[in-house]
Parts: sequence; C-alpha cells; structure tokens
Amino acid sequence: MGDTAILAEDLVKTFGGKVRALEGVSLRVEQGTVLGLLGPNGAGKTTVVNILTTLLRPDSGRAEVAGIDVLSHPSAVRRSIGLAGQFAAVDDVLTGAENLTLVGRLNHLSKAQARTRATELLGRFGLAEAGDRAAKTYSGGMRRRLDLAAALVARPLVLFLDEPTTGLDPRSRIELWEVIEDLVREGTTLLLTTQYLEEADRLADRITVVDHGRVIAEGTSSELKARMGGAVIEVRLADPNGARAAHRALGGVGDGEVSRQGEVVQVPATDGTAVLSEVVRRLDAAHLTARGLQLREPSLDDVFLALTGHDATSGAEPDAADPVRAAGDAPSSSGQSDTLVNDSSGGRA
Amino acid sequence: MTTMTRAQAREAQDADHGSGLGWAVRDTLAMAGRNLRRLLRRPEQVMFNLVSPIMFVLLFRYVFGGAIGGLQGLNYVNYLIPGIAVQTVLFSAGVTGFALADDLQKGFIYRLRSLPMARSAVFGGRVASDTVNNALGLLVLLATGFVVGFRPSDLPGLVLAGLLLLLFALAVSLGYALIGMTVSSAEAVNAATFPIIFPLTFASSAFVPVETMPDWLQGFATHQPVSVVINAARSLILGDTATDAQRTLLLGGADTASLVWQSLAWTVGIGVLFGVLCTRKYRNLT
Repeated sequence: MGDTAILAEDLVKTFGGKVRALEGVSLRVEQGTVLGLLGPNGAGKTTVVNILTTLLRPDSGRAEVAGIDVLSHPSAVRRSIGLAGQFAAVDDVLTGAENLTLVGRLNHLSKAQARTRATELLGRFGLAEAGDRAAKTYSGGMRRRLDLAAALVARPLVLFLDEPTTGLDPRSRIELWEVIEDLVREGTTLLLTTQYLEEADRLADRITVVDHGRVIAEGTSSELKARMGGAVIEVRLADPNGARAAHRALGGVGDGEVSRQGEVVQVPATDGTAVLSEVVRRLDAAHLTARGLQLREPSLDDVFLALTGHDATSGAEPDAADPVRAAGDAPSSSGQSDTLVNDSSGGRA
Repeated sequence: MTTMTRAQAREAQDADHGSGLGWAVRDTLAMAGRNLRRLLRRPEQVMFNLVSPIMFVLLFRYVFGGAIGGLQGLNYVNYLIPGIAVQTVLFSAGVTGFALADDLQKGFIYRLRSLPMARSAVFGGRVASDTVNNALGLLVLLATGFVVGFRPSDLPGLVLAGLLLLLFALAVSLGYALIGMTVSSAEAVNAATFPIIFPLTFASSAFVPVETMPDWLQGFATHQPVSVVINAARSLILGDTATDAQRTLLLGGADTASLVWQSLAWTVGIGVLFGVLCTRKYRNLT
C-alpha cells in the first residue's frame, strides 16, 4: 500500500441552506494513482474538487491533501496542488508564455525560474511556437493544454483536473488524454472528474461514481463492469418507434429485463450466443429489421445506468459533445432504468 | 502510515509564507503588472479613459460655462476642473469592478484562488493598476484644463488634491470590486455604473454651486462624500487666494484642513468597509 495522497471523509456541503450538493462523500487516493470521479452534471464532482483544493469549505467532514489538513492549513495545501478547471482559466489577452510566467511568479518562483519553467512547459505541451501569441488566438485544445501547463508550474504533488476535456472535439480530447497519460506515467497523483465513461475507463486506476452528492459505487473499471454480470446484446433500430416494438417483441428473452434507450434495445445475456439466436428469431417473427446487432461486454455506461437510474450524460449541457454515444432521450432512459437495476442485482454472480 | 507525506506536509507548512507582507507586496506587483499589460494590449480602453475627461472639460467650459454664474468672482474653468477630476476618477473606479467581473466570468479568478498567493493581491493589484490608469487620466485632464484657461493658484495644493482624488477613487473602486464579484458579469457592472456615479457627481458641487439647487437637494449635495472631496480639492488648489465669500458660498464654509480631514475620513471609511467586504466575498466565492 502506498501513502494516501488525497483523503476525504464525510464531506457535506449545502448551498444557500437548501441545495444539498454533497451528502457525505468519502474517498481516498493512493500516491501515484489516478482516481476518476465520475458522475453526471450536478452530481457534486466539482464541489468535491473545490473543497479539496481549498476553494470551498465543507459544512462538515474533513479532508487531507498530501498529508495536510485542507481546513486548517489551506495555504500549505495550495502550495502542494495544481488545479486545471472546467473553464480553461487562462488570461486570453496575455500570451501563453506570460500566462505561465505569471502563475510561476504567483507560486513565488523567481523571475528567472518562472521564465525557464514557462519555456519548459510550453515546449512539453506543444505550445513552443504559440508561446508568444495571445491566448485568445489559441484553439480549444491549445487553451486546455495551456491551462494544464499552468496547473503544473509549481510541480504539484497532487493534480486536480475538473472535467479536463468537456467541450473539446474528439481529436483534441485524445491529444489531451495522451498528455495526461504521460503525467501519470511520471507518477503524478491525479484526481480527475469527468462525465465521460470512456475517459475514466482510459485514464483512471480506480473510479468513484457519484450521483446526487453521494458515492454510489467505487472500484476499478473492471470491478464495476463485473457488477453488471455477463454480456449485453445491443439491438439498434432505425428509430425509437421501431425500438419500442422491438422492446415488446423481445420481452422475456435472456436472463433479465430488456431495456430501451432511444433507438437501442439492450438484452442482458449471461449466456450470450444462445440468447443472440433467440433475439434474431424474435425480431424476424415481428418483422423488425435491426440496423445493428452486437454482443458485447458491459460498458461503464451500462454500469452507470444500472447504478444511477439515468445515463451518464443526461442533464449535460446540450453543447457538450459526448464521445461515448449520443445520449438517449432522458425521460425514457430514466423510465427504463428501474428494470435494469433489478436486473443487474439478479444477474450478479 | 505516512512518514513521507507527513514530512512533506511539515515542509509545506514551514514554507507557508504566502501570508507574509513581503509576499503580499510581490504578489500585488505581479498582479498589477499583469493588469497594466492587459491595458496596453487593448488601447481602446485607455483611449476611452483619456478622451472622456477632454470631452467633459470642453463641453462644460464652452457649452454650459457661459450660463453658470454666482461663483463669487471665481473663473468657471478654475471652479470646474476639480469637479471633472472627481467625475473622471469615479468613472474609472467602475473599471475595477468591470475587470474583476470579467476575470471571474472567464474563470481566471478560479485559477488565482488555487494558488499560494496572497488573497489581498487580487484586489491590491487591481486597484494599483487602476490608480496608474487614473493618474494618467488626471494628467490628461490637467493638460486640457491648462489649454482652456485653468490656472491653479497653489501648485503644491494641486499635487495634494491629485493624491486625495486618487485615494478616494481607490476606496470607491473597492466598492465596485464588490459589485463586480457579486454580479459577476461585466455588462451588469457597466449597467450599475451610471445610476450610481451620475447622481453622485451631478447632485454635488462638481459643476454648479450647490446653493443654486432646491433646498431639499442642497443638504444632500453639500454633505455627500463626492462634494466633500471636490470641495477639499478645490480648496487646496485655490490655496490662500480663496476669498471669504468664496469659502462661505462655494466650499461649505469650511477651511482646507477641515475639508481634507473630512475627505480622508470618508475615503478610509469607504475603503475599509468595502475592503473587508471584498475579502470576505472573495473567500466565499463558489
């Protein structure tokens, strides 16, 4: 067991005396590992990060970062952490180099040290040529890289990334993932929040799933997937109406309840191939043509749906691109999810 | 369990000097440098700050000036310049709130709050750079004033008046900083500037003697802080040349020292009140 880099115990936070943002969140991150804090918008992820990075005081509970108590020594904590936020917090009038130098100065590096560090980081994040241009001329991906570089200026022991790729196009997202993977290889302890299951799956050693201010599951990606039981058969129809018909036609197939999201019908199938042929027969009998049919391992998406009763991205801003898949229509997905919850408990080995 | 992290913690706590005064000053300078750099990169903002005092001087001197009398023999330009000066620095005070709201909106404040810098430097740097901007505005105003006939009687008094105005503007700009952080939208701060600054500058002794106003307005116009500061500046600039009649009718009957002390009291009161509220607001930003 390594040392604990981040520890949170029973964090409770209420906004405006009414909105319960956190209802007792606990988590622990070992040094040199990556924790993915996964949840939909409004789940409380950013509130957890804000408390751990001293931006916000919890109503109750305690937290330590790099062994330092967040509530009693906030400025010592600020010397040990780096934070890159959801809203790329760079000054867009200043150049990339000036941004990093300023952050270096405010981290109390000398002028020369701050400049050297800025040059180093610009080179590392592929911004060397853009370093003397105003940040407002940067693309979305470049801004995020600059923001990430700013979080690393003081060589933090613990790094917090709050939805680092939200709103990025797929190509920039993958570029940023590669940068983050490099950091992780060097042993940086990282707490990453995301609403993208794929991102948590790819970057995180362990995943904590939060919803409505509570931790609802915790484990490695494969542990969480194992909770879903066996494989899933996914039938994609031309439209939601076709999917409704297929949903009726496939009732009782497999070893759990069939669910529907948008134009996709999902059939839990521990005994994959046998169920698959039954699915094909039933669709044929109902004169339904599937656009796509696949037998696959359960994804984190399935886990999320099973755990939270809604899919991972419902409630996300409309402009946030979803790299995993187009979100199903929220009402029907939440309507269907109850059956999945029952089903997954039955399907557990 | 954690010998290493404890050691690191101790080290970090030992190095916890972010609250020292020396660091606060350095952080403030770093932030002020950043703000001034931004200002230089966007000359249109500087232009507005410099052009508006010129316009106001010309407008009042040549459009209204001829119709304004009752100045006990005081030349209207000499009466007017301290008034425009206060108006100039008050409008610039709005910039403080505008800029902070912009930083908040763009997420820059979010980054600053996660750094081990002195918190006061966010405001300190802001008001420092805005004071530089204000001083520039006053110099342009003075130059314009000289061209259209402004002649101060007391040069050291003129310098003191300038400093008094800059201090007053600094205190007021903390009020705008609070508005900026509360509404957190640059447009909303802009919208809030006019309803506050216009009544305070026009219902004052800035452009016309208070005694020409209706009775119900005179009480407010004589004693509100903007008038007190204008009268103090006017009194400093007139120096010994102020006649008893001018002092009684134009300066609220008070002597220079008393006006300056009253101005400083208002300045410190406003500054401390809003300084405390700003720091508290900053700490509780979400």
